[in-house]
Amino acid sequence: MANEQGKDTRLVLRIGHLYPQLMSVAADRGNLFAIVKRCKWRGIKTAIDQIFVKQTPDFTQYDLILFHGGADREMEVAAQDLQAKGRSLREAAESNTVFLAVCAGYQLLGHSYKPFEGPELKGVGILDLHTEGGSTRFMTHIAIECEFPECGKQVLVGYENHSGRTYLGPGAQPLGRVLAGWGNNGKDGYEGAVYKNVFGTYLHGPVLPKNPWFTDLLIARALARRYGQVELPPLDDSTEQAAHTAAFKLAMAFKGTVSAIDATPWRERLSPGSTSRSL
Amino acid sequence: MADYSRHGGGGISWPSRARLALAISAGKLAGASGRLFRIGGGTSLPGMIARRIDPNVLRSVMAATTASKIVITGSNGKTTTARMTAAIADASGRRVSHNRTGSNLLQGVTSVVVNYADVFGRLDSDLLLFEIDEGTMPVAMPEIQPDVVVVTNIFRDQLDRYGELYSVAKALDKLLERLPETATIVLNGNDPQVASFGQQARARKLYFGLRTTDIGRPVPEHAADVIRCIRCNEDLVYEVAYLSHLGLYRCPNCGYELPPLDVAATSIQLDPRGDGPTQVTMQTPLGQVELTLPLPGVHNVYNAAAAIAASIAAGFGIEKVPAALSNIRTAFGRLEKIQAGDQTIYLAFVKNPTSFNLVLRLIAQHPGEKHLLLVASNTVVDGEDFAWLWDVDLEEISPQVADVICSGTKAEELAMRLKYAEVPLDRVRVVHEREAALNAALQNAGPGGTLYIMASYTPTQELRRIMQKRGWVKPYWEE
Repeated sequence: MANEQGKDTRLVLRIGHLYPQLMSVAADRGNLFAIVKRCKWRGIKTAIDQIFVKQTPDFTQYDLILFHGGADREMEVAAQDLQAKGRSLREAAESNTVFLAVCAGYQLLGHSYKPFEGPELKGVGILDLHTEGGSTRFMTHIAIECEFPECGKQVLVGYENHSGRTYLGPGAQPLGRVLAGWGNNGKDGYEGAVYKNVFGTYLHGPVLPKNPWFTDLLIARALARRYGQVELPPLDDSTEQAAHTAAFKLAMAFKGTVSAIDATPWRERLSPGSTSRSL
Repeated sequence: MADYSRHGGGGISWPSRARLALAISAGKLAGASGRLFRIGGGTSLPGMIARRIDPNVLRSVMAATTASKIVITGSNGKTTTARMTAAIADASGRRVSHNRTGSNLLQGVTSVVVNYADVFGRLDSDLLLFEIDEGTMPVAMPEIQPDVVVVTNIFRDQLDRYGELYSVAKALDKLLERLPETATIVLNGNDPQVASFGQQARARKLYFGLRTTDIGRPVPEHAADVIRCIRCNEDLVYEVAYLSHLGLYRCPNCGYELPPLDVAATSIQLDPRGDGPTQVTMQTPLGQVELTLPLPGVHNVYNAAAAIAASIAAGFGIEKVPAALSNIRTAFGRLEKIQAGDQTIYLAFVKNPTSFNLVLRLIAQHPGEKHLLLVASNTVVDGEDFAWLWDVDLEEISPQVADVICSGTKAEELAMRLKYAEVPLDRVRVVHEREAALNAALQNAGPGGTLYIMASYTPTQELRRIMQKRGWVKPYWEE
């Protein structure tokens, strides 16, 4: 391995993985893999608790909480269960626990989700935002530009697949500015939300592996909560950068399309055996 | 006019008939020139051309034929199930028309009609067998009006094309409700979602599946999709899980459980080296059948059970089943074993976590270190959203990986996924161009070596075309 395992730093990152089976529609466990491996390659241990429905742990014990996406049916189950976890989750957010919430997880950290059809779901209100279901789905490659004190301007790349339109209140900042894709609602040009160390986004793909700068930002902030500022030694990210660049090119090539698959040229349908189109 | 009424064309006006004839002729011509110039098997082009000329071509021919019509749909296993059903029908003396190359969108289905019908739209077949993509079912079903519909399973598949799993399932269930009482619905009883289909349907239902503790695991794997009760959302309890969410399940809350299976594999002996043959005892309403399948893996037991159930539904009986299935070969790209000079290639078409994981588990049982070629593309048939790669358990094979070539528009993502599965970086290389990638991978495999290729649909066809030029395989439309 190019990234040889370093010495044991005696640091332990405590991760709470919320609904690892229920909310896992878009293979977002890749986010967990990215965090765990990038810690391991630096000699940082990780302790992972899987948190299922009906369980109400003290969420302030975690430095990092993952809350991923699910289909509408799963989301209903999660929304109902979440109310019992709400108070402890809010305490964790206030005590600077890092959250990464994706898609349905992002929506449920807000105040409410009103689907296009069906009853409104209540969120936990950690992020000052609400979401309404739209009649069309944004299903395409996305790139956004973010800015954080630790790393300056950086680009996040991923894939979005959501019909929800999310609107931020004054208590939440957008995660980034949309370069290509649709983001929160397709109108205001912003994507995701940030409050303290709580990050919500529609980006999957999964988002962390091909955005190593963001993974490291989450790891550093999560460790800082327990250990004070920790310097993360750099890793060889050439593989990740190549994947990042490829995803960025796709996002720019599909800019303006609501559904990437529908925008795939007719030539491909006529002759699916043709050489892949170069972008 | 009377002589047409039995075969086709009855009641259709002359202008319509002329249009139909033109549509079929043009389609046939397109298919023939495609094959002549070796640019493709004409598996979807004839249907596409014909539909442009006469949008009713499929509907007209279907309405006129007296042949029985079987539709096979679902996420995985359609092509092999259709091939097995065709083999049983064939052995039972039926004349079969079949979209056997797996071109299963509306154009491909229409191509069957164009290829097999004469210019008057008359078919000389007893059985029409259609493999149909689950997303195409809402448009195909009303045109075909099938007698038997088989649903193999529903897995997450191309989220960016069909939205979420449940909307695909809901749409399919609605279609089944519209079938007349003379029709039969053949359902996978081990799939908690598929087994719940057709509760409001008038058609007869037949359930197939596995009912044995010979194989399987105590809980479903990570990539499993439906592990909550269809009725009350409680987590299902599994006695055994055979493949993803397929298994013997029960809801501890409301008591929903798998239905009694009409066609059930009750004893299964898989080949421990991950190859064929597979010994199966199948219980059916017409008696017990002992099978020796030359194909590996639990998925092929499902395919056989589905095919037998379809055959029973269509009235072929079971006498010819063991003989018909003992000669069955893998469909192209289904872990297809290819002799490439002194080297061996296994070509696997993988399209979702379930099929990819299945292939990985099978080849992990093959002895020795593995040389791999992984190819993923982003055409309309392959999908744009490749997130599902992270639900593939590459960790299961990473300790055995000697080297990997990654290719296709998603090559970089593949390489990164391998890195996070702890495959050492110096064993992974990205080669974008398809033929160069194949050559590099074969070079890695070395003289007399074995190469494992896992690729999405478009690259599977591209690679097979290269191998066809080299004389290693026949064109897929001649398979």
